[in-house]
Amino acid sequence: MNGICFILNGAPVTYEGSAADRLLEVLRDTYRTTSVKCGCKEGECGACSVLLDGMLVNSCCVAMGAVEGRSVVTLEGYRETERFAVLSRAYGELSAVQCGFCTPGMILASEALLSQNPHPSEEEIREGLSGNLCRCTGYNAIIKAVSLAAEEGNGLW
Amino acid sequence: MVNGYTAHSLAEALEIRAAHTVIPYAGGTDLMVENRPDPTYLFLGRVPELCGISEDEDYIRIGAAVTYTRALESPLVPPLMKAAVAQIAAPAIRNAGTFGGNLGNGSAKADSVLIEFVTDAKLRIASVRGERLVNVADFYQGRKQLDLASDELIVEILLPKPTPGERWHYEKVGGRNALAISRVSFAGVYEERDGRIVRLAAGFGAVAATVLRYPDLEAMLVGRTVEEARSLKPDLLAAYEGRMQLTRGRVSAEYRKAVCLRLLGAFLEEMGI
Repeated sequence: MNGICFILNGAPVTYEGSAADRLLEVLRDTYRTTSVKCGCKEGECGACSVLLDGMLVNSCCVAMGAVEGRSVVTLEGYRETERFAVLSRAYGELSAVQCGFCTPGMILASEALLSQNPHPSEEEIREGLSGNLCRCTGYNAIIKAVSLAAEEGNGLW
Repeated sequence: MVNGYTAHSLAEALEIRAAHTVIPYAGGTDLMVENRPDPTYLFLGRVPELCGISEDEDYIRIGAAVTYTRALESPLVPPLMKAAVAQIAAPAIRNAGTFGGNLGNGSAKADSVLIEFVTDAKLRIASVRGERLVNVADFYQGRKQLDLASDELIVEILLPKPTPGERWHYEKVGGRNALAISRVSFAGVYEERDGRIVRLAAGFGAVAATVLRYPDLEAMLVGRTVEEARSLKPDLLAAYEGRMQLTRGRVSAEYRKAVCLRLLGAFLEEMGI
């Protein structure tokens, strides 16, 4: 049987397990990209968000067979980028991180939003992050951080 | 690939579907939550015939593997469908979830399916034996019971093109803004010409085994003037109240019925009735 070939954070990999396996679990257990968190396994919390060919998806709701030939980016890959540096500074400056469990997903949702809409309004930021739950911050700090990143990273997105 | 097949054309997909016991997999957002034991999936995301949005003289045709995000970006998709799809879950789910999956899952809570009911959409269904068109209302035979044989696939949804004079209303009642599963959803389509009502459709989602519509009750107002419709409104609402047999879900059947009637009343009021 042929394995499932895909690109993980820029590097080609071949997964030898079942096509029905969950991307979330494969990322954590096989490839040890543990920034991807398991919050609900129902597509309700966004903690397992990754970029699949640049689109934000919940990795708990993706079977490995659907990943074949595609590119997956987790925070481990994204943190090498200049855009991440801007988001990281903004999240830090505005205390948009408390326990940190939602943060990898929030950062990738922020990237997905800004790559579509480099200067979002507050309402657009709330909509863009609406699939990512945070139980600590009350969201306002995160919304402001994305707004600040959009300003500071002017031209990056 | 272990436990899965990837199809690259509709013909290939139909052959695999006929030859093996497979679960069609489009976006995965429902299937992966269902978490069936030891499934073998047929991955459809690479089948070009399922991934397009096009139009002909009468219909907007949406491929079964088209995602909600793609539909929202398309200038062809009618505003009523967009209104419903824009409220589905959140961006990450809309990036993966598909029209065919919403149908194939068989739930009466499926937000895009409600719009297909009120617009009298048709489905194109294919197998190696041939293809057929089915009305969406006939496709649903009961809770999670679909008119779909084990060798068939949903290919596309044929949405009748909106008429220039049509007006519509859509409302979703959920427990929260994002990521909400509908508790009650309502869609209505209305059209009048020369002072008379020529079309009325009212559909209720998430309140029974399938989306509900009562064509005979809708017909009470068709052909009437707006004045006549206004005087018939109390009778019409009472008729709906008598007819609606709702099930209990996360909320009670009584609550659902009260909300359905309020939504129907508000829709008619918005149309001037």
